[in-house]
Amino acid sequence: MTTIISSKRSFFFPEIVATCLIAVVAIGAVPLVGSDYLMDAVLTPFLALALAAVGLNLLTGYAGQVSLGSAAFLAVGAYAAYNFSLRLPALPLLLDLVLAGTIAAAVGIMFGLPSLRLRGFYLAVSTLAAQFFVQWALTKFGWFSNDNPSGVIDAPVLRIGSVTFTSAAGRYLFSLGVVTVATLLTLRLLRSQTGRNFIAVRDHEVAAKVIGVPVLRTKLLAFGLSSFLIGVAGVLWAFAYLRTVEPAGFNLDRSFQILFIIIIGGLASLRGAFVGAAFIVVFPLLLSRVGAALLGSLFDSGVLEMSQRIVIGTLIITFLIAEPRGLIALWDRGWARLRAASGKAIET
Amino acid sequence: MFDYQFLLEVLIGGLLSGVMYSLVAIGFVLIYKTSGVLNFAQGAMLLFAALTFVSLVERGTSFVVALAATLAVMIALGIAVERAVLRPLVNQPPITLFMATLGLSYIIEGAAQLLWGTQVHGLDIGVSDIPFDVGGVFISRFDLFAAAVAGSLVALFTLFFRYTRTGLSFRAVADDQFAALAVGLRLPRVWAAVWTAAGIVALVAGLLWGARLGVQFSLSLVVLKALPVLVLGGFDSIAGAIVGGLLIGATEKLAEVYVGPLFGGGIEAWAAYVVALALLLVRPSGLFGQKLVERV
Amino acid sequence: MSRITAEARVLRLEDVAPDDGLRAVSEGRGDVPARGVERAAANDARRVLGLANISLAFGGVTALRDVSLDVAEGEIRAIIGPNGAGKSSLLNVVSGLYQPDRGQIRFGEHAFRRVPTAKLAAHGVARTFQNLALFKGLSVFDNVLMGLAHRVSAGFLRQIVGSPHARRIDAENRAAVEEVVSFLHLSDVRERIAGTLPYGLQKRVELARALVARPRLLLLDEPFAGVTLSEKQELSEHVRNARDRFGTTILLIEHDIGLVMGLSDRVAVLDYGRKIADGTPDQVRADQTVIDAYLGVAHEDETELAT
Repeated sequence: MTTIISSKRSFFFPEIVATCLIAVVAIGAVPLVGSDYLMDAVLTPFLALALAAVGLNLLTGYAGQVSLGSAAFLAVGAYAAYNFSLRLPALPLLLDLVLAGTIAAAVGIMFGLPSLRLRGFYLAVSTLAAQFFVQWALTKFGWFSNDNPSGVIDAPVLRIGSVTFTSAAGRYLFSLGVVTVATLLTLRLLRSQTGRNFIAVRDHEVAAKVIGVPVLRTKLLAFGLSSFLIGVAGVLWAFAYLRTVEPAGFNLDRSFQILFIIIIGGLASLRGAFVGAAFIVVFPLLLSRVGAALLGSLFDSGVLEMSQRIVIGTLIITFLIAEPRGLIALWDRGWARLRAASGKAIET
Repeated sequence: MFDYQFLLEVLIGGLLSGVMYSLVAIGFVLIYKTSGVLNFAQGAMLLFAALTFVSLVERGTSFVVALAATLAVMIALGIAVERAVLRPLVNQPPITLFMATLGLSYIIEGAAQLLWGTQVHGLDIGVSDIPFDVGGVFISRFDLFAAAVAGSLVALFTLFFRYTRTGLSFRAVADDQFAALAVGLRLPRVWAAVWTAAGIVALVAGLLWGARLGVQFSLSLVVLKALPVLVLGGFDSIAGAIVGGLLIGATEKLAEVYVGPLFGGGIEAWAAYVVALALLLVRPSGLFGQKLVERV
Repeated sequence: MSRITAEARVLRLEDVAPDDGLRAVSEGRGDVPARGVERAAANDARRVLGLANISLAFGGVTALRDVSLDVAEGEIRAIIGPNGAGKSSLLNVVSGLYQPDRGQIRFGEHAFRRVPTAKLAAHGVARTFQNLALFKGLSVFDNVLMGLAHRVSAGFLRQIVGSPHARRIDAENRAAVEEVVSFLHLSDVRERIAGTLPYGLQKRVELARALVARPRLLLLDEPFAGVTLSEKQELSEHVRNARDRFGTTILLIEHDIGLVMGLSDRVAVLDYGRKIADGTPDQVRADQTVIDAYLGVAHEDETELAT
C-alpha cells in the first residue's frame, strides 16, 4: 500500500531542508576536506549529469515526451559555448553559458517539431535523428571545432570577472553554482502554470487541449527548456569536468545513461535526477572496487564494463517493475518511516 | 553524361542491403504486433545469437549442432524474457515496456560479451561475396542469398500465421488482447512464443549480418538501422517492414553516392532518419501502420 | 478493479453547502433563469448552443445523420440513446474533436464548421469525459486549477520570476479553485494526488475542473457511468446545483434514462445517428418512436461506434 503524503508538506519539509543542508555541506566542507580526485572524478561529473538529468526529466518525466537524443544537446551546448568563447572572447563566460543553452534550446525545438504530430515510439525514434545528426555535423564540419581534424575541443579557462576556476575545487564550485541556480529556476517553473501544463499534456493530452492548454506550444517549450538545461550541462561536462571533448563522447550510450539516471532516480522528480546521477557516477567505482576485491586480476576493464552493463540493465528492469518512481520513492518511504519511528519515540 | 548503369547498380545494391534491414525489422514487428512493445533489445538478441553460434563453431561444434544449440538458447531467452520482464510489467504503458527492453538490451549485450569475449569473430556461412554480372550491372551474390533467405522467412511466417493454431492465436492477440484473453488464449504462452520467434529471426539476421560485418559488438547497432525502417513501414506491419527496408536501403545508398559528397560523406548515419521523419510528418503512423480513430 | 473497494471509502456528502461560501455568480448575465419548460421556447438570443444539420461518418459507417439541436441558456439538456446511437460523437463534434462532414455548430453568435478545440475554453465551453480524463499526477487542487489554464497569459519567464501580473492572475485563479473545491465538497482531499482517489470522487474532481472557469456551457459525457447508485444521486445533485448557482447551461449525454428524466429540462433522443425525438421528459416518455427504439425494444450488444 502506498502512503499518500500531502504533497505540499512533503514538498516543503524534507525537500527544502534536505536541499539546504546538502548545499551548505557541499559548498562549505567538500573543498576543504575532499581530495582533488573526489571533486574531479566524482562530484563534478555528478553535477553535470544531474543537471542533464534535470533537463531530461523536464521533458520526459514531467511533459511525457521520451527523448533518446540527450547527448546531442549536451554536445550542442559544449560546442556552442566553445565557439562563443573562441570567436567572441569579449563575452563573459556566464553569458556564453546562457547563449550556449539558448542554442541548444533552438536545436531542441527543431528536433522537437515532430512531437507535434508523433507520439510514443515514433517520437522516441525521431529523437534519435538528433543524436546521429548532431554527432555527424560536429565531426564533419571543422568550423565547430576550429578545424581540429577529429573534432576535439579544449576548454577555455573558467573565469568570472577576475576570478578563475582552474583547480579541481574551483571547477567543482563553479559547477555547483551553475547547477544550483539552474535547478532552483526549474523548480520555480515546475510550480508555475507552465509546470502544471507539462504534467497535463503528459497525463491527458486531449483533456489538456479541451481545457485550453496550448498543447503544441507546451510541448515545444518542454523541448526547448529541457535542451537548454542539457546544453548548459554539456558546457559543464566539457569545460569543468573533461576539459577536452570530442563528438564521439556524446554518443547514444551517453543519451541512454541520462535516461537511465531519471528512471533509476525517479521520473518527474528533481531530487530523483540528483539521486540517480549520484548512483550512476558512484556505482561503477564501487563495482570496480568490489569486483577487484572478489575476483582479483580476472576483473579487468572489459569484464568491468560488461558486468556494469548487466547490472545497470537489471536495475532498470527491476525499478520499472518494483518501483517505477525510482530511488527517490524508496528514499521518501525510508524517510517517512524514520520520522514515524522518531515520532513514536518522542511520544512514548 | 549521367551513368544510368551505375545508378542501377547503386539502386540494386541499396535494395538488397535494404532486405537486410527488413530482416532485422521483422523481428521488431513480430513482437510489436502481439505485445505492443518496441523491443529495443532486438539488436542485442541478434548479437547474442550470432555470437553464440560463432563461438560454438569456433570451439569445434558442427554447423548443425551449433545452429540447434543456438536455437535452443534463443528459445530459452524468449521464455525467460516473458517470465522475468513481460509478465511483471503487464498492463504497464508501452513506453515503460520500451524502457525495460532498453535495460534488457544492456543485459543481453553485457552477458553475450562476458560469456564469449569482445573480440571480432569472422563468420563464414559458405556464400561468397563475389559479385556477378547481369547485363553489365554487378550484383552481390551474398546480397541475393540474403534476400532469398529473408523472402523465405517471410513466406514461412505468412504460412505459419495463416495455417497453424499458434499462428492464429498470434493474430488474435495482435488484433485485440482483451478479446483474445476472453476466448481463453493464454497471453503468457503467446508472448513467450512470439519472443522465441523474434529470437529465431534474430538468429537468421545475426548470421547474415555477422557474415557480412564480422560478429562483434557493433552488430547490435543494426537495431539503429532498423528503426527508421520501422518508422517508415509502420511498427505493426510485416509488409511495411519489407517495403520500408527496401526504401531505406535504396535511399541510403543513393543519397550516399549522389548527395553525400555535397556534405563530405558519412550521411548514411542519419539520412534514413530524415527520410523516415519526413514521411512521418505526412503519415504519422507510417506507410502501412494502422491508423486508429482517436477515441475519447 | 479497485473501484469496488474504493467506493466504500467515498466521503459521505452533506447537502449543498450553505450560501455564504459562495458568491452568487450571475453578474453580467442577468438573473439565473428559473427551471421550467418555458425555456424550451427560448429565442435565438438565449441560445447557448445550436447544432444545424450535423452529419458525420467514419469510413462508411454513419455516426450522425442530419442532427439539429438547440440548447437554451440555463437549461439542463440531455441527449439519450442506446450505445452506438451517436451521442459521444455528437459531443465530440461540439468540442471540436471530430469535424462533421456537414453542418454547423453555433456558440452564441459564433458559427463553426469545425469547433477549434484549443479555443473551446475561451468560448466559455467546458466538458468532462466518459472515461475520466483527470491529470493523474497532479493534486486535486492543481487539477481544478488546470481548468483555468487558458487564463494564464504570462509567459514562462514571467512565471518563473513571478511578475506582478502573473502573481495577480495566480491569486485570482487560486481563489476561484478554493470556491469550487468547497462547493463540491472536495476540501478534504484537495492535496491528494488525483490518480489515487476512488472513481466516484475522481468524477467529482473532473466536474470541479470543468466548473471552475464558470463556463456558459458545460458538456457532460456520461457523467453517471460507472458510479454507485448513491454517487449518482450526489452527482446529479451537484449538476443541478451547478446550474442553479452558477447559471451554467448543461448538455449531458447518458444512457441511464431514469436519472436523466428527473434531472433534465429537455431531452433529445438519438437512435442510429438520427434524432428521433426532442422535448420535455414527459413528452419523450410518451413518444411512441422512442418507446419502440429505445425503451421498448432492447438494443443488445450494440458496439459503440465512437465513444
